[in-house]
Amino acid sequence: MNTALTNILDQIINSVPLFKPELALITGFVISIFSSLFLTKIYKHSTYITTLLSLIAVGYLLFDQIGQTATGFSESWIVDPLSSYARIIIVLSAFVITIFIKHRHSCNNGDVYSVLLAAVLGTHVLSSTSNWLLAFIGIEMVSIASYILVGYFSKNKIQAEAAMKYALFGSVCAAVMLYGLSLVYGLTGDLNFEATAHLQGLMDAPELIVSLALLFVFVGIGFKLGFVPFHVWTPDVYQGAPTSITAFLSTIPKVGALILFARLYRSWSSTDFYFSELLEWYMVVVAIATMLIGNLAALRQQDAKRMMAYSSIGHTGFLLMAIYAYQDSAAFLFFYISAYVLMNLAAFLFIDQLEQRTGSTAINSYAGLGKKMPILFTAFSLVCISLVGLPPTIGFMGKLMVFSALFDFTGAYDNTAVILLLAVGALTSVISLFFYFRIPLYAFLRKSEDHAKQRIAPNTLLYVSYAFTILLIFFGLFPSFLIDLFN
Amino acid sequence: MITLTHFLLVSACIFCIGMYAVLAKRNAIMILVGIELMINAAILNFVAFSKYDKTNYGGQIFALFAIVLAAAAVAVGLAIILNVYRHFNTINPKNMHELKD
Repeated sequence: MNTALTNILDQIINSVPLFKPELALITGFVISIFSSLFLTKIYKHSTYITTLLSLIAVGYLLFDQIGQTATGFSESWIVDPLSSYARIIIVLSAFVITIFIKHRHSCNNGDVYSVLLAAVLGTHVLSSTSNWLLAFIGIEMVSIASYILVGYFSKNKIQAEAAMKYALFGSVCAAVMLYGLSLVYGLTGDLNFEATAHLQGLMDAPELIVSLALLFVFVGIGFKLGFVPFHVWTPDVYQGAPTSITAFLSTIPKVGALILFARLYRSWSSTDFYFSELLEWYMVVVAIATMLIGNLAALRQQDAKRMMAYSSIGHTGFLLMAIYAYQDSAAFLFFYISAYVLMNLAAFLFIDQLEQRTGSTAINSYAGLGKKMPILFTAFSLVCISLVGLPPTIGFMGKLMVFSALFDFTGAYDNTAVILLLAVGALTSVISLFFYFRIPLYAFLRKSEDHAKQRIAPNTLLYVSYAFTILLIFFGLFPSFLIDLFN
Repeated sequence: MITLTHFLLVSACIFCIGMYAVLAKRNAIMILVGIELMINAAILNFVAFSKYDKTNYGGQIFALFAIVLAAAAVAVGLAIILNVYRHFNTINPKNMHELKD
């Protein structure tokens, strides 16, 4: 008994180095709470500085982990290229979002940074585990932190309503997922979804109960990823939340949930039990429905943030397609994820700039502004081109790589599903042209009513968004820089 | 003799009651109560199943974490509902139509 205990302790102590970036995050979280309590009176931006410093420390520790492949804490914590790159993307976008929040909500915001760090910790957990317990903790950490972020600044009815809808819908989805997980645990007696005991338990169980349990589990993951039919919260919450928080919601939680889903799909679809086949068809149907509904519903939106919400649903469908084709090399998956994160952050930064100028996020309020702000709207149009997926931008390269990965994948499998996916993917890209291009259409070709001459004063966020636009073009012309990083 | 089946039946009933509360109640706090019932049904399942998991008691640990997370989610939910009440003077989700297509 004693030797077993020392063995376990040794194993835990040996796994601690794998957990360094998260330990840094936890330390940063605690310090930022204390600094928002005590140091804010001395120096106004102390919490902001603390958060940025801890994110830099996390990034530094993550760079040490690149290329490492190891498991720790009795195989529940996985460090591999998939998790390392995902966490680097998460930390970089958290860095940008911290700056974004600081510039938009400069007073009374100390706790927002610590909640943001908690959300980042949750996504780290999501992206580096194959254990249902940790996956559930990660999903709940991200969800609870997001409810707080959406409701934190609530100054008007819209924001309060968005926060409540989000919290109620999210909690129901988490509860359903928990019930499904309890059934999965009962059927398998094992919480690691990559373990053979787990797969064997699922294969031996009655088909009806397995289908029901897994359907329940997908409710929770579907809520975090925002795929059909669990996407209904997305447009309301994206429109209601402050723009900086919307930028957070559309990027960070999605990356984490996506990596978890990629791991799950890869380990479950490669077995030969009946559910693998069902899972593949489920995936195809959900991806097609998500792409179609996201892009078609975006066509009739009048609000830029609501349109971006539907556009991010459409991109989720595309990412599901990428997961469907994901076998061994994750380079194309990461390329599309980083393209998606870059494009979304840039788009929300521009929407925020225009919101500062016009006080509205309605697309028709951009009418005639193209002549007054030519550089801003040229850059915004480039971001739109990238979101559609036209050359010479990163969006085009991302879509091209997903399509070609899907073609390579066709060799071994039945073709109908792949051809359907390819056709719908191409079709929805064409549809998306119409709603993204309404932004340059209104800006350059419509006459405006207001003749106010006031311009946007140059600020940090504007430079950040221009830098993002340049990156979009740069990686579109020279994608090998980014691909080489992920290989 | 109380067997595993009894536990599963009870938890399935609690889950359905919780689901009914979520779908039918017109008060945000009653919806939170329904969510809590659903989570507790799952926790009951975990504890019942972990009797057969002699090696590492994954179910018991899962139940403990689920209780803590449910408490945190409800605390945040109540704070948000309080904030909604300040703006709308009602907590019936059906009376809020600021955001729609």
